Amino acid sequence: MCSENKMSGRGVYMATVVVNEKICDEHFLLRLYLAEFPSAAAGQFVQLQCRPPVAQAGAAEVARSEAGLPEFSSPELTDKESLLRRPLSLAGRRVSGDGVELEIIYRVVGTGTGWLAGTRAGQAVSVLGPLGNALPIIPDKPQVALVAGGVGIPPMIYMANALHNAGKSVTAFNGVRSKSLLPLSPGSEPISPEGLPRLCCSQFQSSDASAVVASDDGTVGYHGLVTEPFDAWLDGEAKAAAGLVVYSCGPEPMMRAVGEICIRRGIECYLSLERHMACGMGTCQSCIVKIRDDSPQGWSYKLCCTHGPAFDARDIIW
Amino acid sequence: MKMNKLKESEIDLSVDIAGVKLANPLMTASGTCGYADEYADFVDLKTLGAFVTKSISVAPREGNEYPRIVETRAGMLNAIGLANVGLEVFLKEKVPQLESLGLPVFVNVAGTTTEDYLKVAEALEDVDIVKGCELNISCPNVKAGGIQFGVDPNAVENITAELRKVCRKNKLIVKLSPNVSDITATAAAAVNGGADALSLINTFTAMAIDIEKRAPILANATGGLSGPAIRPVAVYMVHRVYTQVARPNNIPIIGMGGIQYASDALEFLLAGATGLAIGTALFVNPQCIVEIRDDIADYLARHGHGSITEIIGTLKIG
Ligand SMILES: Cc1cc2nc3c(=O)[nH]c(=O)nc-3n(C[C@H](O)[C@H](O)[C@H](O)COP(=O)(O)OP(=O)(O)OC[C@H]3O[C@@H](n4cnc5c(N)ncnc54)[C@H](O)[C@@H]3O)c2cc1C
Ligand SMILES: Cc1cc2nc3c(=O)[nH]c(=O)nc-3n(C[C@H](O)[C@H](O)[C@H](O)COP(=O)(O)O)c2cc1C
Ligand code: FES
Repeated sequence: MCSENKMSGRGVYMATVVVNEKICDEHFLLRLYLAEFPSAAAGQFVQLQCRPPVAQAGAAEVARSEAGLPEFSSPELTDKESLLRRPLSLAGRRVSGDGVELEIIYRVVGTGTGWLAGTRAGQAVSVLGPLGNALPIIPDKPQVALVAGGVGIPPMIYMANALHNAGKSVTAFNGVRSKSLLPLSPGSEPISPEGLPRLCCSQFQSSDASAVVASDDGTVGYHGLVTEPFDAWLDGEAKAAAGLVVYSCGPEPMMRAVGEICIRRGIECYLSLERHMACGMGTCQSCIVKIRDDSPQGWSYKLCCTHGPAFDARDIIW
Repeated sequence: MKMNKLKESEIDLSVDIAGVKLANPLMTASGTCGYADEYADFVDLKTLGAFVTKSISVAPREGNEYPRIVETRAGMLNAIGLANVGLEVFLKEKVPQLESLGLPVFVNVAGTTTEDYLKVAEALEDVDIVKGCELNISCPNVKAGGIQFGVDPNAVENITAELRKVCRKNKLIVKLSPNVSDITATAAAAVNGGADALSLINTFTAMAIDIEKRAPILANATGGLSGPAIRPVAVYMVHRVYTQVARPNNIPIIGMGGIQYASDALEFLLAGATGLAIGTALFVNPQCIVEIRDDIADYLARHGHGSITEIIGTLKIG
């Protein structure tokens, strides 16, 4: 397999695991080195092949036992791993030596992510990407709120960095089920139990962004849903609604709530959706999202992988 | 066995499908490669012998509700529901980009009534780049659409005969369903109706159940099983159709179902397929067509064959 250098550069690339470390319960940080990889932006994702790349699956001569029976080593007998690739958001990209490093933070939920969790430094992983669109950076909105839940938090770190570089003022709201599942490390200030923004998470602090942490069980930060301190914060920022844009990524019920809050308050809001994907390239038509439009029926299906993954909250029909 | 090893560059991979000359036997399986533009970044489609489009119906179709796919062991179920842009948009927007490929194009034609099929096939007579219609009478995912024409030999013969009248310039390929008790009966019916070629197989009607909800996972309840899981059955069906229908009538077969590697592709060739279509495997590795092509050449060289046609249908039994 090779890296194809097409005009856009999107393609299949072979990566080597640099680091694959546990950052909190169930969550791993994966850093991949690639000799080359196109420029990519926050909001985009890759499809990782969660199994060892098959180097020589061709039609090499089949070995035979003394009895003359073929000794099968064909892939279906040796491949115990999943077939389709797994979509994972980019949590960072930087130039490293004469190559590129990609960061991915993933939660172990099943077969594919389970396989990833067992990978070691030096191991090869096949990467397809970059896929999807960058989150839109809105020129006339100086203020940004990021509302993330669980595994939706990592892509927001990348986003905060991009927004900071674009001169925006960023506040990051992070919701987790419990303290042990928070994929963030401490900043210079303590986390506010009232759900007030503080420089309390180093990953956001490096983008000058203050952060709020909420947990369902009250083991860290605000005790409750992250949408509650977010809604309360908006009360204070209401006058600024016109200069504010909100991005959200995480569990669908949370994003729906964020979308409803923003629509009610007239705030521009983008939700980064997750859909089951076979290809990630816009061909299989599996990752549909119902989007309002001016067609006679009032909506049409758009593809999460190529039109998204982020959509304007006002356009989504749940 | 004594073999004269040839150089790969001396190998002739070209095949003839009912008078259409292909540089090699590899094609896209309908519905897994869109209308070509989607894959442009990921693989050089000019590597293919021919391009097969997503199904086209007279009117555009939104397709089924989400979720449309589910991964299963060594395969996947899909219930896309023939989502497609419709004939008009296809002719206006998609044909120009297919023209730029410079490959023979086979258009997969779907419909709910005989008239629908005829309308699409008639319109394709005027498109130069299109060399054939692949008649989809085997989609398992649409209630009134296709499969009712595909499981009863009389219905297969009738619709094939109707299309035969309008396909004058274009070759008529009939795509067979595996959801029948005897695929040689529907194959023979297609040949009696005037088919120039047969393609097999479409997906198997299948189901996956969410055991917690005690409900089907797919919105459509059932879907079509594709991928490596179906390959042995597909190879067997190609073998039967080849020996009982295709070879006696001198009709070429386009074989498909779970091809992922060259060793898989070679099984189909030996069983009697002249063309090879790749579907699900493209989602995982869009470059597999290049790898399969090169590895087939390697196999032929190793076995001292100067032309791929020397091995088609050379399965030794008994
Ligand atoms: C655009 C996008 C970005 C994502 N970014 C991240 C990320 O940064 N970090 C992270 O941990 N997770 C992310 N996810 C979710 C991640 O793709 C799934 O958790 C993962 O596919 C699960 O695979 P598995 O084999 O471990 O689980 P299994 O349950 O064994 O997977 C079974 C099948 O379901 C699919 N699937 C299961 N859950 C999801 C899901 N939530 N979304 C889409 N497909 C799913 C799998 O791809 C697979 O085909 C993202 C999903 C999308 C669509
Ligand atoms: C997502 C998906 C969509 C498909 N859409 C079509 C279609 O529109 N028309 C058709 O004739 N076959 C369709 N098929 C069937 C394939 O063309 C092919 O017959 C089948 O998937 C077996 O090949 P594979 O195992 O290599 O995928 C589709 C298959 C998949 C997986
Ligand atoms: S995942 Fe295949 S079209 Fe989006």
